Parts: sequence; C-alpha cells; structure tokens
Amino acid sequence: MGGLKTEEFIVNMGPQHPSTHGVCRLMLTMDGEIVKKIEPVIGYLHRALEKICENRTYAQCIPISDRFEYVTAMSCNQVFSMAAERLAGIEIPERAEYIRVIMLELNRIASHLIFYGVTAMDIGALTPFLYGLREREAIIDLFEMTCGQRLTYNYIRPGGVSKDLPKEFVPQCRSTIAMIKEKLNDYEGLLNENPIWLARTKGVGYLDPKLAIAYGVSGPVLRASGVDYDIRRDDPYSIYDRFDWKVCTRPNGDTYDRYLIRLDEIKQSIKIIEQALDGLPEGNIKAKVSPNFKPPAGENYARVENSRGELGTYMQSTGEKKPLRVKMRGGSFCQLQALPHFGTECFIADLVAIFASLDIILPEVDR
Amino acid sequence: MTKEQLQTAITEKLGDKMTLLDTGRHDLMYEVKRENLLEVCKTLKDDESLAFDYYLNSHGVDTKEKFEVVYNLASIIHKTRIDFKVILPYDSAEIESVQTIWPGANWFEREMWELYGINVLNHDNLTRFLLADDWDKGFPMRKDWDAPGFIRMPEL
Amino acid sequence: MGIIKKLPVYAEKVPGGGIVTTSLEMVLNQARARSLWYLLFGTACCAIELMCTGASRYDFDRLGMIFRATPRQSDVILTAGTITTKMAPRLRRLYDQMSEPRYVIAMGGCTINGGPFYYDSYSVEKGIDHIIPVDIHIPGCPPRPESLLEGCLHLQEKIKKEKLSDWQEK
Repeated sequence: MGGLKTEEFIVNMGPQHPSTHGVCRLMLTMDGEIVKKIEPVIGYLHRALEKICENRTYAQCIPISDRFEYVTAMSCNQVFSMAAERLAGIEIPERAEYIRVIMLELNRIASHLIFYGVTAMDIGALTPFLYGLREREAIIDLFEMTCGQRLTYNYIRPGGVSKDLPKEFVPQCRSTIAMIKEKLNDYEGLLNENPIWLARTKGVGYLDPKLAIAYGVSGPVLRASGVDYDIRRDDPYSIYDRFDWKVCTRPNGDTYDRYLIRLDEIKQSIKIIEQALDGLPEGNIKAKVSPNFKPPAGENYARVENSRGELGTYMQSTGEKKPLRVKMRGGSFCQLQALPHFGTECFIADLVAIFASLDIILPEVDR
Repeated sequence: MTKEQLQTAITEKLGDKMTLLDTGRHDLMYEVKRENLLEVCKTLKDDESLAFDYYLNSHGVDTKEKFEVVYNLASIIHKTRIDFKVILPYDSAEIESVQTIWPGANWFEREMWELYGINVLNHDNLTRFLLADDWDKGFPMRKDWDAPGFIRMPEL
Repeated sequence: MGIIKKLPVYAEKVPGGGIVTTSLEMVLNQARARSLWYLLFGTACCAIELMCTGASRYDFDRLGMIFRATPRQSDVILTAGTITTKMAPRLRRLYDQMSEPRYVIAMGGCTINGGPFYYDSYSVEKGIDHIIPVDIHIPGCPPRPESLLEGCLHLQEKIKKEKLSDWQEK
C-alpha cells in the first residue's frame, strides 16, 4: 500500500496521571502505537531535602529522612542512623538491633503489598488493590501500636530506637505474619496463572543484566534479571548474618519475573521476622548518647537494601553538631535513568506495565 | 576479598595515583588528582582483581574552602566497596565526565552541575532538570547562596 | 405515606397523599454533596494516605466519592502532598480545566504553609492558598484517614448550605 505518509509525534504522559507513582513526566516519541523514544522530565517534587539537613542536628534530620522515601520510612531512618553512628562510633544494644530488623522486614512486606496492589491496578485489575491494602493495614496497626504513626515513623534514631515494644506486640506480630502467609496463596492464585496477566507481562520489558549493572540498577529489578547481589548478604549491616534466609533471583528479566520476585521476597521476610521474634533478647533499647552529639571529623557512605533497591546516605562531618553534607541516593533514580534504554520498541500499554513493575517512587528521584 | 587485600591490590596497581585518606569511616577513602581521574577510573573498572563495575553514587561537596567531588563504587564479583574524591579549587571548578566508563554517571553529574555549578566536560546533555524551568537565582547548594524568600531555621 | 413523616421539616405535605414538594436548591445541593468525584492528584506522602482512605478499611465509596483520572470529570481536587515551584503552574492549569461547581480540599501540612519544608527549602511553595482558592484545610503530616473523612464531611456540610444564586453570579 504505497503513498501512506506517516510521521512521528510526541505524546506527553504528564505530571498528573492516574498510576499513582507520583509526579513523573515522560515525553514519548511515538510512531503509531509504538514508543520510539522516552525522555523523563523530573523535578516536580524537588523539595531540597539535602539543603534542609545541612541546617539540622543529626537527631533533627531523622524526620526529614522519613519524607525521602515514605513508603519504607523505616529503611530511611535506618540508613541515616547507621551513617551517623559510624561517624560517632556509637555501639547500639542487642535488643535495639533485633527490633530494628523486625521493623525493617515488616516495612518491606508492607511496601511489596503496595506494589502488588498498584501494579495490578495500573494493568487493569482493581481487586488486588483492595486485597493488598487490607493486609497492609494489619501491619500498619503494629507500627501504630509501637511508635504512634502510620507512615512517617521517626522511630529508628542514632543510638537505638525511640520506644520499646509494648507487650501486645509479639503475639499480634506472630498472628499478622501467619495471616499474611496464608493470604499469599490467594494472591498467587489470583494473578499468577491468569491468562490476561500472562499476556500483559510475560516477555514484556526485558532488562539485560549488563545494562542493569552499567546503570547502577539495584534491588528486586536487578535480581529479576539474574544477578545475584543483595546488600544484606554481600555488604552486611546490622545482624542479618545471624539469620537463615535465601537471596531470591529470577532468570528472565521481564515484567512477570519482576512481579514474582517480590512475592518471593515477602516469603523470605516472613522467615526472617519469625527467627528474630524467637531470638529477641531483653535489655536496653538505646545507647547513652546526648541529643546534640558532635561526631569527630570524617565521612562515610552507608547503604541498606530497600524494597526498591539500594538506599544510600553519604554524610560528612567537621566536628560540629550539624552535618556538613548529606547526600541521599535512592534506587529509583538509577532505574528511571535506565528506562529509556530498555523501554522502547513496545506498545504504550506495555510501557505502562514496565513502568509499574519498576516500582518507582518520585521523591527518591527528586529529593 | 577483605579490606586489607583490597588496600594492597590498590597500592600495587595505582599506588602513585591514589592516596589513602584517614577520614573514611567503615570504608576506604582515597584522593585522586583531577588529571589522573579518567585513567584511574578505567583501571578500577577493567582490572580483573579490582573489577569495580557497579557505580553507586557521585555528588559534590562545598566545604567553604574548596569543592570536592566524591565517587562511591562497588564490585559485584569481589563484593568490595571503595570511595574516592577529587578536590577542586573554587576558581577552576571543572571535571571530566566519567560517563564513557560508567553510563550510570550521566544524571548524577547533571545534578551536580545544576546544584553546585561544577562544570562537567564532555557531558552530552548538561541541561536543567531538578529546578524550575525559569530558575535564575544561581547554584542553590553552595554554602554562600541566598535569595529573597529563603528562610533559615532559627537556632533554638 | 410513611416516608413523608420521616422527612425533615422542609418537605411540605400535600393533602391527599404522596407528593413531596421541596426547593430545587435543596435537591441540587443534596445531590452534589453526596456524590463528589475527586481528581487523583497525589504528589507526596499524603498520597499514600489518600490511597489507604480509598481502600478497604476506610472506604471513600460509602460517601459517594470515586476517583477520576481527568479534571474534566471531577468535582473536587484533593491536593495531597507538597507543591513545588515547578509544579505550581500545572496545578493552576488542572484547576482551570475543571468545570464548575468545583471545590478544593487541601490535605496535609505542606499545602497549608509549607509544612516541615517551611525553613531552609528553596523550591517549595509555602501553602497553596495563593495558587487556587481552597475550601477545606486538613492539618496533619500526614493526616489520618479519619481526619480526611471528617474533612470531606465538612465539605458536604458546606455544600448543603450553598445557594443557587452563588453560582449564577460567578
């Protein structure tokens, strides 16, 4: 059929769009239905968190770090506290370490449940959204019982944790994770073998492991492409080396594997929490640290394994009570940077599925 | 590979170009001169006993006397970590881009240029992306930056 | 017949049976208040609490509120999250694209006066009052779902007191 003239045009997937990942703008150059080029435009949520932290003491920085990656605020508190503790040379008590691990893993499960709900909603299934958030409410009840907040906890501080666990925590935690373990069968039964889900996600958005390593991609997205790297095992922090758990990987690197690996990670987190609850010792929850402590001059870069990748904080101190420089680095920044290199040559509906499977949160990108 | 083994390997291969500083807590921190930067980065990535192929982070620091550019790297095969920095004086704040060695450095260097004003040579897209489109008030992360409407928190 | 007795005072009873007379204003206000469709505009942390309020435990649908993706089909814009200088013109544009009658609920401390980012931040708008006219402010960082539901109920009360002449003059 000769003589049909086509040209490429630009579609703007604007800062406000219904997949609630935040305010990310993608300028897509399209040839018909096929995406040829992606250009992310960011900066709509740049709140200058790093400038704020330069004028706060180390303890006052912790609520600011909550807002950096609010879905897993415990990990942000943890990485900040680790960087400050390494600068000041603070040792934290055993009970505080166990409580921190329990909170971090509970937060990882809550974040993966949000991923499950929101990804399914982006691809078109509305029921998993209600299921995922219903289970997440049970975990949020545990957090609220301990520290009083549902989303931005301000709980893990340099020196330990801020409040001890109430006595109803341990039995309620055990029953919550037993319930989630059972409900995972429902989730898998709903989507794993579903023909519509398989058609939308299998073989879509292949990420080459070499490309992933070149762009600094980390977390479940890296492990779903077959690379066996997890900071909890390979650069250990806290007391993760005392527990018996496995690093999950998947071979294929497409959207379906990125979905499955997060369900695997929920199972491994449940294992870690059970072991931590069994081994929880008695004792102090805070080391003796003054509120305006002044660490000696030095610098370090602390990193933790977050549910979205690697969360890193670089901190430099000059002996004052406020840090000289705080830099926060999130996993979503690198994944969004890599997206134009593997998300092209597909339909726009596939692009929505790929973007949802990367689990990007905009404040990590913009800070 | 332990930290001591890494330290000996670095001294063997790059002992004249990287000097160990004592400010690094928990990981090794080196200093590299600006003219040796690209050569050091290539050796760190390509050499088999070092194999630092995983680029984590880079950013600028303003210490009120000079600029510093800090790089954080990791190795997936050997499971090691290293940091190094390049010191730049205020009046010649320019550095080469390392994006030919690690493609992931692209956006990190762009951000560093935008917020600190450190010029990055041979970068393919040095445009504004975090600040507003009509921003004309300078480089906000510098220590001596101020603007009307910028309110500092008072000391308690 | 029994329903006439249960209706409040403003329904007039017609002798002989089952007609209820009332004013057009009252019916329109009740209809508008009980089915507010909100625009999904979540920027930051408050967006997660907005999602939780719309989910199973605290349900928005029982108040008649469903999310819409486009401003052309929504009545109320729930600004959940910090608005930065780069985002402010886009917020104004979205508000202008909504058709009247339209309402604004400002959720969270950041939309009231900048919240925790009031000091030391060079790119945060300190409140959204100077961008779009706000009807209800909900404080909190982030506000609990119960606070958000109470804010929506206050908006419903506000709508029920409106007069038809307000919209005609605009």
